[in-house]
Amino acid sequence: MISYSRDSHEAILSSAVKIVGLGGAGANMLERIALESIEGAELLALNTDIRTLGACLAKEKIQLGVNLTKGLGTGGDPELGQQAMLEAEANVREALKGQQIVFLCTGLGGGTGSGAAPIVARIAREEGAFVVVFATMPFFFEGLRRRDQAETSLNQLAVLSNALVTFDNNRMGELVLAKQGIHEAFAAADKMISESIKAVIRLVIRPGLINVGLDDLMSALRTNRSRCLFGSGVADGKDRASKALRNALASPLLDQGSLLKDAQTVLVHLSGGESLTLFEIELLMQNLQKHVPNEAHVLFGAAIDPAMGNSLSITLISALPEDALTGSSRNSISTTSKSIADLDAEIAAPAEIENPFSEIDSKEKEATKNKDPELDAKSAEKSEEEPTTSDEPIENFADHKPKPKAAQIPSSKNKIDRLIGESIQGGKDKEFQDPIPDKSESELPEEPSETETQDKEDRPFAEPELIQPEAPLPKSTEEKDAKEEESKETADPEVAEISKSSAPPILIPKNRPVNKTIWGEAQSQKDKSPKSENPLEEEVLTEDDAVTERTPLTNLKLDPNNSGSQSELSFDSAPRGRFEGENPNVFEGEDLDLPPFLRKRKS
Amino acid sequence: MARRTKIHVGLEIGTSKTCIVVGEVKPDSAVKILGIGVTKSAGIRKGELSDFVQARSCLKHALAKAEDTSDVEIGSVFLSVTGSHLQGINNRGTFRLPENQQTILPEHLEEACNIARDVPYPQDNVCLHTIIRNYVVDGLEQSASPIGLFAKNVEADFHIVHGIGNRIQNSIKLVRECPLEVDDIVFAPIATAQMALDREQRVRGALLIDIGGGTTDFALYLGGAIATSGCIPVGGDHITNDIHLVTGLPFSKAEKLKILEGNASSDPSLSVGVAKLTDDNGFAEVEVKRTILNEVIRQRLEETLKLVRDRLPKGAVESIGAGIFLTGGTSLMSGFSELAFDVFGRDIYRPEPSENTGSAHPSFKDPQFATAIGLIRYAQILETENTKPPGCIGRLLGMFWPFGS
Repeated sequence: MISYSRDSHEAILSSAVKIVGLGGAGANMLERIALESIEGAELLALNTDIRTLGACLAKEKIQLGVNLTKGLGTGGDPELGQQAMLEAEANVREALKGQQIVFLCTGLGGGTGSGAAPIVARIAREEGAFVVVFATMPFFFEGLRRRDQAETSLNQLAVLSNALVTFDNNRMGELVLAKQGIHEAFAAADKMISESIKAVIRLVIRPGLINVGLDDLMSALRTNRSRCLFGSGVADGKDRASKALRNALASPLLDQGSLLKDAQTVLVHLSGGESLTLFEIELLMQNLQKHVPNEAHVLFGAAIDPAMGNSLSITLISALPEDALTGSSRNSISTTSKSIADLDAEIAAPAEIENPFSEIDSKEKEATKNKDPELDAKSAEKSEEEPTTSDEPIENFADHKPKPKAAQIPSSKNKIDRLIGESIQGGKDKEFQDPIPDKSESELPEEPSETETQDKEDRPFAEPELIQPEAPLPKSTEEKDAKEEESKETADPEVAEISKSSAPPILIPKNRPVNKTIWGEAQSQKDKSPKSENPLEEEVLTEDDAVTERTPLTNLKLDPNNSGSQSELSFDSAPRGRFEGENPNVFEGEDLDLPPFLRKRKS
Repeated sequence: MARRTKIHVGLEIGTSKTCIVVGEVKPDSAVKILGIGVTKSAGIRKGELSDFVQARSCLKHALAKAEDTSDVEIGSVFLSVTGSHLQGINNRGTFRLPENQQTILPEHLEEACNIARDVPYPQDNVCLHTIIRNYVVDGLEQSASPIGLFAKNVEADFHIVHGIGNRIQNSIKLVRECPLEVDDIVFAPIATAQMALDREQRVRGALLIDIGGGTTDFALYLGGAIATSGCIPVGGDHITNDIHLVTGLPFSKAEKLKILEGNASSDPSLSVGVAKLTDDNGFAEVEVKRTILNEVIRQRLEETLKLVRDRLPKGAVESIGAGIFLTGGTSLMSGFSELAFDVFGRDIYRPEPSENTGSAHPSFKDPQFATAIGLIRYAQILETENTKPPGCIGRLLGMFWPFGS
């Protein structure tokens, strides 16, 4: 019998997706992504700081600036970050070779992130990948200088990447309750970014009933120098369609859906289990119509993914021209972006890639200093430069759309073997500078199936962590992170106050648990928190538990606040005020006489 | 004689207050409130008697006040009861018509009703209300009496409220010792609904939530008939107690703070700064962070509302057309409407006594008295049902009147 192999994956192979974490913030995002265990995607960590890099969970790691910074950080100097990056360019290029989609996660404002991100984006583009950049912007209280650095880098990324999604740290407060600790806030921000990445991957990997692919994604993001609007929501149970949409619109990147009002093109992708009904889709799209202008081009896609079970996920992707965004967003203060508005500059901007970035920096800075008079001269200068660089490997961005897809997708089928071979080889090449033993590389080609439990998926990441011979490293990272966090706390009086006022029930760990605890513990924490509607509160709980496990139980008995977290004991021990001595008013396993505030009911 | 019977008295013995309302029902069935007697309750916990003697003295005090303000000598009252032991359940009785009969006769219907009323509840419990919801003839719902229709099956849907007999007996005993007669006992949310919901709202579907001091009573009306009723033993006292437990303030301060400064909506802009109470000299004696205060209140009320929501039958919230009506003292909490909207996603109303109560007394607008005023409406409805038969036409009608007397 002749058997036909029906290739259902006409879109992108999952092995051709790479997530790159750049710098300290990028490493944190990668950690979150590793915890979420995104199916199929490979992780690559880039950093100048060898300590942070050593603690990172990514399979592949490349140290930047081996000779330049000698394993230390850049000290917040983007120029140093740039040079460190250029030093490791060949390795990075090797690692990104053959990838179809590259997600670049980074925190702008620092040295490594701001300096190296544009170069990484450029390399990825030159290697023919579709580049989606997730960048976090620094807090206001970090100062104008960091803000400037971040803006400069952001402007470069805007032209270099296919899609740019920025998350302003100042809006982190919206993600969590005011009483929650700073750790939760950062975790929530990272989580949001990892959700976004997951959604994009789901979008391009899953062959849909109504398919949307890279081409649709690109046309949704077509406007150059744009900021990506991104919302993703998952919900299950009754009324899941509207719940999912509400979750998606609640994304801070959409500004509660109000930013969609100005959108030209909106890509909507629905993915659900086999129980997805047409009625739900109709309902959802009707609801969405209220948020999207009538004349907008709505690209709609739907896919059935049995792994989704009973849940339904919706992803909204759109793009706004940068100036429109700055007008409506209350937080971003991009002074440079306002000055460069005309189309010429936009088209000409990619030509500058080949220039040393310091030059752009100085130019941009000049532009910020004296905006308008400089503008004309600058755009003229750029358009002059254009023809000289037009034969460079990066094509003009205005017509970039069809190229990568046409070139790569047909060849993607037999690419997988080549890719695996390459990645193994690449791993060997890298051995001399890669702190991870090669063991993890050999496990790389085994793509864990989606039905496998999270444990299995995560373990390969864990192993290098445990094998790691240098004992003092995690400790010193911890110290450094703790210092950073402290300085942030003291710098922002409000954050400090919140952390104080939230006092006993929420103990704020000075560091992410992943760095501090051994892997098994972090894993168990993760396992404890099921996927619920509000994972943040869950985390508070588990965090609490973790803390109580570690600290001796001496003073906890006296503290009424802690009685809530252990509802089994609370019947006898907790003070009940006015209802003292009465029969417990038990309803569904909860004593209703105790304050829910202390019981921390999740529902 | 006739004039005397037109004055009804409603008595609500609540957790926080004992309230007697005297109302006059005029011949045109307009209601006029003659007077209200209110005292703070003592000896009541979560809607139930816990100290008989104290409760009795409170009741006597309230009675004296009510007689004083209304200038009426009160002989008998309608008593509302509540407590977590009271439960509302729905039951359907089916009667299959004998082979040789094609139309529904009164005795068939009677049989169906008897079957429906025969709900299995614990032996100690007594039945408080049996309210007909609707009839079903061969699977088709009929809101009016189906007597005379062709059918094979006739069914009757009943809503039955039952509770522990002794506890209800004790409430009656308390009133009798005053001495007062008890005309009827009414489950509190059903009484409140008489005041809060008009016929149209009941048909469109409405949920009444009466959050008092110690209990949260609720009644859901769908399609003109009561669908669910019940009581959750959580109320405003719990909020005070929560504040006490979390902040360590004494009860009196916690109560004051709750009323003056508390906000239940999750609006973060209302949770900024510090809530202060000043003593007589103008010094701040109590300071609590609003974030904590509001969060304590919100979580308690949110939980309570969710408990109510979970008790409703499946899909009931979606079929509420008119909205959700909040009464009771705790519904005065600022930001409560927003919270209720977040939980239920339906229109939220705070009902007021309708204009025909004919009184300019401002306290009558207060949702705290909703139950007691509702009792008078209940009495009025009961009276019109019972006093219809007299007269030739009435007696003829009475032969077909399914509810009997």
